[in-house]
Amino acid sequence: MFDTLLELFVFDVQNSLQRFAPELTLCVTVVAMLLVRLFNLDRHVPSYWVALGGTLISFFFAFTDFNMLKMESFDLAQQTIFTGLLVFDGFTIFFRLFLLLFLILVIALTVLSGIPDNEDGADFYVLLLGSTIGMMLMSSANHMLILFLGIEMASVPGYVMVGFLKGRKKSSEAAFKYVVYGAGAAGVMLYGISLLTGLLGTADMVEIASRMNAVFAGSESVGMGDATARTVILALVMILAGFAFKLSIVPFHFWCPDAFEGAAAEIGGFLSVASKAAAFALLARFCVAFSTGQADNLKEFYMYVGIGIGAIAALSATFGNLAAYAQTNVKRLLAYSTIAHAGYMLMAISALVVVLNEPAGDLFARLDADGDGVLTRQIAEQRYQYDVPELYRSDIAIIFDQLGKNSITQAEFVEQAKDPAVVHTLHRGLGAQALEGLLYYLAVYMFMNLGAFAIVALIRNHIFSEELEDYKGLVHQTPALCICMLICMFSLVGLPPLGGFVGKFMIFATLFEAGAVHWSMWAILLIGGVNTVFSLVYYIRVLKVMFLAERPADARPALIPFRSAPSMYCVMVTVPVLALGIFVEQLSYTARQVASILF
Amino acid sequence: MFSDIQLTNYLLVGAFLFVCGVVCMTTKRNGIGILMGVELVLNGANINFIAFSRYTPLGLDGQIFSLFVIVLAAAEAAVALAIALNFYNNHLSIDVDRGDELQG
Repeated sequence: MFDTLLELFVFDVQNSLQRFAPELTLCVTVVAMLLVRLFNLDRHVPSYWVALGGTLISFFFAFTDFNMLKMESFDLAQQTIFTGLLVFDGFTIFFRLFLLLFLILVIALTVLSGIPDNEDGADFYVLLLGSTIGMMLMSSANHMLILFLGIEMASVPGYVMVGFLKGRKKSSEAAFKYVVYGAGAAGVMLYGISLLTGLLGTADMVEIASRMNAVFAGSESVGMGDATARTVILALVMILAGFAFKLSIVPFHFWCPDAFEGAAAEIGGFLSVASKAAAFALLARFCVAFSTGQADNLKEFYMYVGIGIGAIAALSATFGNLAAYAQTNVKRLLAYSTIAHAGYMLMAISALVVVLNEPAGDLFARLDADGDGVLTRQIAEQRYQYDVPELYRSDIAIIFDQLGKNSITQAEFVEQAKDPAVVHTLHRGLGAQALEGLLYYLAVYMFMNLGAFAIVALIRNHIFSEELEDYKGLVHQTPALCICMLICMFSLVGLPPLGGFVGKFMIFATLFEAGAVHWSMWAILLIGGVNTVFSLVYYIRVLKVMFLAERPADARPALIPFRSAPSMYCVMVTVPVLALGIFVEQLSYTARQVASILF
Repeated sequence: MFSDIQLTNYLLVGAFLFVCGVVCMTTKRNGIGILMGVELVLNGANINFIAFSRYTPLGLDGQIFSLFVIVLAAAEAAVALAIALNFYNNHLSIDVDRGDELQG
């Protein structure tokens, strides 16, 4: 008995370590960097070479995994590692690849802009890599403990990085505010986790759905009347507050503009993209863990949770866009723009929760257009996800196959949908579509937001300012950077034919489809659309200053020629923004495959 | 006498610590005071975890959770105090209201 257990354990560890290679490589790199520093080798080998080398090796491992999966099938590789603490699937691999690519770009940027000098380089890159390891853990979490540890591991180095410019008053203030809010949010989130795990008797995310079903098996509907339900609501609110802090969603966004203004622009770029992407990956996993195969009483409850998330998302987008108007500091303006973008992306999550929790009776009524109470297989397949590729269209067919008939009444339909396996497949088409939009948006957002922050950082090195009025007429001196800024900002607005437009379109299309499930999604879609118009104004204001104003004679010159490394870097980051707007098929197919793994 | 103590009693202590911590975080102007509030919140959650591991099927997971939280709280406190010291060096105070350069 003991021998078998030991053997299983050894096998699990060996297998897990193999799957964990990218993270391990980053860990080794962190140690290597500190050793290089210890033996005074950093005079000869700058620490960014060590960091870049380690990240490239790690990226190579992640890329090999990705290729292997692409050649076989994404579904095959799903497995839990480290005795179920982490999950290794296509979703994990996608986010690993995403984060590592982004890390490479950020390291390249810091080399160009020289924000950590050689003396501080080792410290800085240790923090940067450590934070990325935390984010990779977040994207593969399968257990509430890893959920919390991942968030903390990503945040704590972030606090220090914000305060990295030690002698600056603003930087120390930003770091202090960030750490105080961050620690508070983490504490509240942990208390929520303790309530939830205690109530459900498990911390394993896979088991959450079935335990929730068991806890609420007796109750007719889940609402404030029930003490257990109140505890769950309290716990969920606390956990979502922790997520909202990481995502800088509206009631918990205070830290974001302050931290970004006080920190160097490179770090603002890193935090705004990487930590958001990881938090969205984790939030998607968390929401899916709750919404797979639920009974109808819980579905109704989750639907309201989804609508609540949507309301916060709409509020966040509106607030971010309105507050950005009054800003005179470019970094602060970009910080408010990240708050708005987090809002747009959260809309996709809210649509995901809503479509996954449509009660079976409502689904039947929606599909049964003529209202005679009988649904035939043909009509069901036609009306259920009519524009989704072949691969997912047969989702609804499972109900007819199980029954062995080609037409079904409402009562039979609801009865069939009580089977968790059926419910699970019923909603996966729409769910995958919602996630696909989110993944695509994140991929575009990585390039366009990094591009904007990188340009701010590179211009700062010449004019020593990040105030908007010092940007007057920069186009006459650095045309390349200004044109890249134009492309990034138009993409942030969401103008075609840029990548931002495609991402936004995908998310809005999902919201439109989710509107058929609950009308409130249409309201959120409308708010999102209006916001896109709002946001145009303040982005244009920046561009107007850069392009149309005359450069004052006494202003510090920012002569960055086109044939120089900084310009080349900006072009390199901006080209994907254009490419993702034109060649949509490749990435959206991968994103769809990755998204459908979660269901 | 001790057999009367049930899960609820532990949860009440945890909730009390949590509320104390939140009140401390929201009312204190002193940075160190706020960090002490955070520690209270974390320990409130820890008591919950330990109690749940004793009385519910959560089992060992709860205890492991609280062990990790203790380690993490120490790490976070170290970072937070370093940042507070840095703030003090620049502002000669750890009153959070003194940080008023970043606004808008």
